[in-house]
Amino acid sequence: MCGISGIAGSKNIGVPLLESIKHLEYRGYDSCGVAIMTPYHIEVRKNIGYVDEVNEREKLSEPQGEIGIAHTRWATHGGVTKENTHPHLSCNKDFAVVHNGIISNYMEIKKWLIGEGHKFHSETDTEVIVHLIEKYFPASKDVENAFVMAIKQLEGTYAIAMITTNEKDKIFCAKRESPLVIGLGDGANYIGSDFNAFIDYTKNAVVLDDDEYAVILRDRYFIKNTFSGDIVRKKITQINWDSDMAKKGGYPHYMLKEIYEQPQCVINAMQVDKGLIRKLSEMIMESNRVYLIGAGTTYYVSLFSEYNFSSIAGIFTPAISSDEFKNLGEVDKDSLVIAISQSGETYDTLNALKFAKSRGAKTSAIVNVMGSSIARFADHTIMQGSGPEICVISTKAALSQMIILLMVALEVGVINKKLTIKNKNEIERNISMLPELIQKILNEKSGFIHTIAYKFSHINNWLYLGRGKYYPIALESSLKMKEVAYIHAEGMPAGFLKHGTIALIDEKLYSIIFMPPKSNEELYNLSLGSAEEIKARKGFIIGFHFGEKGGVERLFNEEIILPKAQEVIAPFLELVVAQLFAYFTAVALKRNIDKPRSLAKSVTVA
Amino acid sequence: MKALILAAGKGSNLVPFTNTRPKPMINVGGVFILENTIRLLKDSGINVINIVVGHEAETIERYFEKGADFGVNIHYFYQNNLRGIGDAVSIAEDRFSPGEYFMLVYGDIITSANIFSHTLQSFNMVKEPIASVCLTPSTKMFGNVYLNNEMKITKIIEKPKKGGLGNYVLSGIFILPSGFFSILKKTKLNMEKALGILINDMGLRASIWEEEWIDVVYPWDILIANKILMDSWQRTSISKSASLKGDVRIEGPVHIEDDVEIHSGTIIEGPSFIGAGSFIGNNVLIRKYTAIGKGCTIGYGVELKNCILSGNSKVGRLSFIGDSVIGSNVDIGSGTMTINCNLDKSSVKSRISGKIIDTGLNKLGAFIGDDAVIGSGNTIMAGTVIDAKVRVLHHYTYPK
Repeated sequence: MCGISGIAGSKNIGVPLLESIKHLEYRGYDSCGVAIMTPYHIEVRKNIGYVDEVNEREKLSEPQGEIGIAHTRWATHGGVTKENTHPHLSCNKDFAVVHNGIISNYMEIKKWLIGEGHKFHSETDTEVIVHLIEKYFPASKDVENAFVMAIKQLEGTYAIAMITTNEKDKIFCAKRESPLVIGLGDGANYIGSDFNAFIDYTKNAVVLDDDEYAVILRDRYFIKNTFSGDIVRKKITQINWDSDMAKKGGYPHYMLKEIYEQPQCVINAMQVDKGLIRKLSEMIMESNRVYLIGAGTTYYVSLFSEYNFSSIAGIFTPAISSDEFKNLGEVDKDSLVIAISQSGETYDTLNALKFAKSRGAKTSAIVNVMGSSIARFADHTIMQGSGPEICVISTKAALSQMIILLMVALEVGVINKKLTIKNKNEIERNISMLPELIQKILNEKSGFIHTIAYKFSHINNWLYLGRGKYYPIALESSLKMKEVAYIHAEGMPAGFLKHGTIALIDEKLYSIIFMPPKSNEELYNLSLGSAEEIKARKGFIIGFHFGEKGGVERLFNEEIILPKAQEVIAPFLELVVAQLFAYFTAVALKRNIDKPRSLAKSVTVA
Repeated sequence: MKALILAAGKGSNLVPFTNTRPKPMINVGGVFILENTIRLLKDSGINVINIVVGHEAETIERYFEKGADFGVNIHYFYQNNLRGIGDAVSIAEDRFSPGEYFMLVYGDIITSANIFSHTLQSFNMVKEPIASVCLTPSTKMFGNVYLNNEMKITKIIEKPKKGGLGNYVLSGIFILPSGFFSILKKTKLNMEKALGILINDMGLRASIWEEEWIDVVYPWDILIANKILMDSWQRTSISKSASLKGDVRIEGPVHIEDDVEIHSGTIIEGPSFIGAGSFIGNNVLIRKYTAIGKGCTIGYGVELKNCILSGNSKVGRLSFIGDSVIGSNVDIGSGTMTINCNLDKSSVKSRISGKIIDTGLNKLGAFIGDDAVIGSGNTIMAGTVIDAKVRVLHHYTYPK
């Protein structure tokens, strides 16, 4: 996803143009740029980083002009480099283009244009658009004609905006599948990937449909069908909502939106490049020592994966909290450190990687933000492809990281001869059921979880207990509760309870126990035993389990029954339940859900 | 945008009140349910309102007339044979032009904030059919929806099997295109089937409502609705013409309307409401969540707690009314006690339309219909329903 915007005005548009991509930053934020029509030429300023950072370096709003286009990028293909950042210019610098979408036939067009003598500066699909227009322009000397000829040749999805020195008062734009709206203002007209681009300036908008293009001037505009060339008349839409709500796509909070995106995230995680998984697996096999490091949620992701590497791949990969790595990690040139970070900017994790590298260790990273410091620093990087995560509390990104590391564990298992290819395929088939089961929980269990969360939102102390893989799940779940609801929740191994903490238990202490499916009989019985210990001391227990209503699990005071699932995916389902439990508790307590107090999305300080 | 409010239903689970009035004309927090709906619609910019009336239609028409007093324009439709929701919706078809979107509102919903403007905002974002959805403690009787990650509804299950589902449910507010009327006709006016077709053909997006919400189905729901509404109050308002004579203590948000007279020694705990022209005698204790309608008389030393008195009712001295709903023109003799719990603290059961129902509430008093007369010195057992116009003799335990 990327965001595009444009303004055709009568005053200097530098500042509002910069504002417009700031408002679109939620659509992507790894690089951005503007193209402004100055009296002499098209001035392009662009670079990699957040809009504010790029603006600091490049002074995006400085060029003087009354017309301009802008772009903020979320790279999925092609690296995050200044060259790949939009806007892109034609060879003679008379045309500038921004684009959101994917041009699927760009390779053949590019080959043809290179043959025709065009010089390309980036690896993007977008750049072909601007060279195509440049190619067609000389024949008719008519910009609109050249623009339409070019877009007719494109296959794939696009929202395109173009300015040119040949007609200095116009923005040309076109749409197919990617969103594009026009804003009608006072003395200026706007375009944007959505209303947020111009909501501060006008509430009147026109929504473009697929295969339509528009020519925008500061005081008028027209829309035509790309293929018939007929003028299209459209109703003007009044916008009457706040822009934040629009970005959330109708969800009350980003956190809930991102929880609902998890089925898709699992699918994306399973499609991560097999070559990269294979490469990391080989790196693991070649190393004497392998560490998994992360901070906060990603430390728990590491701990969860440590269990998977041990049980599936037969290797011990200690998980260490990044901030403690220097104190604990014993690294040399035969070591591998795998870092996990959503933002790729986590200071503690980056610092640990630097320390490891200085000792000659190899480094690998799993990150969500392309072009981030950790992604660039590590010897080997896997992009998790979860899409932007806006809520400060990580949900979908963490789940994706767990899946990717599980895929790595499977690959290592095969290399290590702990698994046959058949076993691996079988487990992968089980993982592929996960999206549907998560969807089932979201749809059919939300109400029960909501009811219990509201009922117990006044409880200030919780114990979250689990054994085996359910222990890191309990830890991560308790962190969700602490972060979003500001409620104390302590995760610990259920077996650890009797070695001290059990002294705390009375009728006022509330516990959640994360039960494994019955198919893992030993773990199941042990977990049940822990529940009995609490029950015997009159403690209150909520059980997350896979059994029957009112079955052996009747010793639970409250229960959330999950759909039957294979053991390899069961922990993920309990995590989703715990995410919703924390979310609804926070809603009941009216917390600032997407931006909890004292927390920041990426912690870039020591 | 225009609204279409469904207010024709009989509400047979809400006896004794619906014997003498339509369900939307039940009082909560000092207003009628329908009045609250119309005010919130107006606040969200909707002032052309169509109401489908049926059961006890004249009560609604008499009160709202053409809407001038409420700043809206009301048009009535009559559903003479109560044939369900689909039929009620279809009656208003002619009011909407092709391609026009309208807001469909079930007339028995109470929320803690303006659900209509919230739904409108969702609509304005996507310009597609919208259904407001929420999570409720009990999802047995509502349409359970399945959502995908774009908040599109993929399926609606009207009545799930025993054990129930934990799904989001329809909260009774929709924004639909006028094309929905022809879909309704295709399904022989079956609302569920029509929504199913809409989902397949045009799509139906959910707008998630996370504030409080209740569909008033049983008499005790009236008390919950009353609490939801009163909890949303931010401040106290006391009319200039109200007179507080001598020592009157007020705590928390209270609304006291015109010409109310309150005598010395009375304590009022908010949130509470006292309607225009009511008389409150000496040493009355009005506890939280009490709504006294217009023109009521409360005698010396009465204690009221979490209860609703519709207009023009009287409570004689030294009585206790708790966790109860009293209709209008009810006369309660002095020294009457409503019992509001069972001795064993079990949840109170109530007989509704001949069926015994466990209310799940540990504290619940009585439901007394309009125009009933209760003699002095009566004891009314927990969960009792007293029909409209009934006379209960002096010194009686009701029911025996």
